[in-house]
Amino acid sequence: MITVNYIVSVFLIVLGLYTVCTKKNLIKIVLGLGIIDYGVNLLIVSIGWNDGGTAPIFTVTDLLNGVSSKFFVDPVPQALTLTSIVIGACVTAMALSLVIMVYRKYKTLNADEVRRLRG
Amino acid sequence: MINFTHFPVIAVMGLFLCAFLVEIFGAKNKYIRNTIALVAAFGAFALIAALIKPVFVDGNVISYWMGNWTPVGGYAIGIGYEIDALNLFFALLVVTTVLLSGIYSVKYMERDHHLGHYYTLYLMLSGSVLGLVLTGDIFNMFVMIEIMTFASVALTAFRNNKLGALEGAFKYLIIGSVGSSLTLSGIALLYAQCHTLNMSQLSAALATGLSPTTILAFALMFAGFGVKSYIVPFHAPAADAYMAAPTSVSMLFSGMVNKAGVYGMIRLTYVIFRAMDLSSVQLLLVTLGTVTMFIGVTMALAQHNFKRLLAFHSISQIGYVITAIGLGTALGLSSGIFHAMNHTLFKGLLFLTAGAVLYATGTCDLDRLGGLSKRMPKTTICFLIGAFSISGLPPFNGFASKWMIYQSTFAKATETGNFGYAFATIVALVVSVMTLASFIKVTQAVFFGQLPENLKEVREVPLLMRIPMWIMSALCILSGVFYNFVAKYLLTPATNAAFNVTNYIDKMMGEGYAAANGITETAIGFSPLDLWNPVLWLILFAIVLISVCIVILTGEKERGRTLVKTDADPEDGKYATFFGGEASTHSHVGGSDLFWGFKHDFKGYFKFIQGMHSGVVNDYALWVVVATALITVFMFIFVR
Repeated sequence: MITVNYIVSVFLIVLGLYTVCTKKNLIKIVLGLGIIDYGVNLLIVSIGWNDGGTAPIFTVTDLLNGVSSKFFVDPVPQALTLTSIVIGACVTAMALSLVIMVYRKYKTLNADEVRRLRG
Repeated sequence: MINFTHFPVIAVMGLFLCAFLVEIFGAKNKYIRNTIALVAAFGAFALIAALIKPVFVDGNVISYWMGNWTPVGGYAIGIGYEIDALNLFFALLVVTTVLLSGIYSVKYMERDHHLGHYYTLYLMLSGSVLGLVLTGDIFNMFVMIEIMTFASVALTAFRNNKLGALEGAFKYLIIGSVGSSLTLSGIALLYAQCHTLNMSQLSAALATGLSPTTILAFALMFAGFGVKSYIVPFHAPAADAYMAAPTSVSMLFSGMVNKAGVYGMIRLTYVIFRAMDLSSVQLLLVTLGTVTMFIGVTMALAQHNFKRLLAFHSISQIGYVITAIGLGTALGLSSGIFHAMNHTLFKGLLFLTAGAVLYATGTCDLDRLGGLSKRMPKTTICFLIGAFSISGLPPFNGFASKWMIYQSTFAKATETGNFGYAFATIVALVVSVMTLASFIKVTQAVFFGQLPENLKEVREVPLLMRIPMWIMSALCILSGVFYNFVAKYLLTPATNAAFNVTNYIDKMMGEGYAAANGITETAIGFSPLDLWNPVLWLILFAIVLISVCIVILTGEKERGRTLVKTDADPEDGKYATFFGGEASTHSHVGGSDLFWGFKHDFKGYFKFIQGMHSGVVNDYALWVVVATALITVFMFIFVR
């Protein structure tokens, strides 16, 4: 059932936001960002879903007969999801590389101690 | 007849292409590197400037479909670029900033290593922001936002041996990504309702009214663009990033990255949702803007680092812009975008002078600088022009736009009879005064006052760094003196474009599409800028006179009190509001602390607000989440 997808995606987004807001370990904060991304991706894919639809791939015969009679899954959100997954992977990679450098400099992964810029 | 259709996409792609060419050919040789970067920046500038005539003067809208995927059956599937006067206005700001920052970088960055990477990121950032403002596709906009965030983060961490560079970059990345995710979920919900990603088609589809889903999408995207323009609950990482990044990049950040957020906000509220006739949205934007300008300037007063101080002023000035565009009137929007333009000019100039000071002395700490006006007179003049502009002194551009903002908020108050808008005018005036105070402090701390022993050998910066500063200074004065030309040829078309979306939609989706969806042309008329009206000047002078009198009177009283007290008395006028200092030893108050007494009087507030900026990334994320939740609740209750 498609409603489950929406519930789970909202749950994932909220869980990710909760992680970013409460966890003090920098790596866990990055994981939280990843969870938000997965939630959003699930949301986008679910939007394109049509129950009982076919894949949006048509042969020449289908096109000549007119595809409007065919019931298919919306391909645009899937393309969006692919882009979003790639971007999410980049965010994670970049954030983790920054975490490594922060750890080398500050000798800690605790967010409460990485706060030289304040006030 | 030149075909202008291809110009915008060539400008964006040229920047992206050169980003990679720099890395391939320019990693070793600095001449090749600089040439490629400057050619790309200048090319983008020329291509966008060439669009001024067809768009601003002739009133055309230029559209371009990637791969010629034009709409079929009223549905836009392909990615389209669409340039009307509104986004061309912002694109001009972007290319000007990019070009000047590029010229400045040549000398400013020469002492750093791995400059191939620097120019790659610089061109990526430029290309993404230009693409963001030119695109007509909302998902393409999201992708550009993400490229912008990556490039900004990497550039913030570029001098990673400097204090806080890594930390600032990390916070920027976390908060920026949360903001992007909010925007993306908003876009997804919008797609679910309207089955399109094209902004013109969205605008037409949303004309019929808002459903709960689109209201949620509006709230999420509003918060997302709020994060990108750094209005107050979302502003904390901006101050860190502006401070830690190399100055040529700080200029890009405050000159175009947060303008991109402002542009997104205008496009979202005025064009896509066309929600600016709703008083609830107006109230939300004006409240956020007013809070932003106040908190930004008070935080700036408490700073001891030149660039961090400028960063908080940047936030504060964005508050002005948001307040003005939140009024929903033609005068309000035109004053808002005018101030956005002026902010790009004067804040870019100020960041460049801060960079010049950093280049010459090696520090941005206000406590360790002083007396540089003798050693760096040309930089000082540029700084003063920038400081006068940002403080809103006539005849510089900051005055013209701030005056328009006062006028528009006040006009709105008289129009609606709502005292809240008059309160916004008062806050804007007070913030302007505090901005002036803060810049007096900087001027005293950096350029006047006493020259520290170790800065005696400081020399003026090279000519190549001064050229962008002179250009910026000239633009600051010109746009202030000839504000009428600016208003006529730049602001009026851009404002018209934001209010009349019919052209924008029809150009993209085919003639008559807007009318078919029930969007009609609304003629807007506004007569801005009664700048030289003598009565207004008289009132201004009266206000200044009264405030000077108050200052003198209170100061006189406190000075008198100082004289009769003994040295042992703790209440010896040390903290007097305007004339405080160590009376017993007659020591000077440090240049970076001119407003010591003032800060002491309001120490409760300052302690609270500085404590809020705790530097813990979780707290900043919490602000974003709470603010988004509040915006969502507000929209569900009040937006109909």
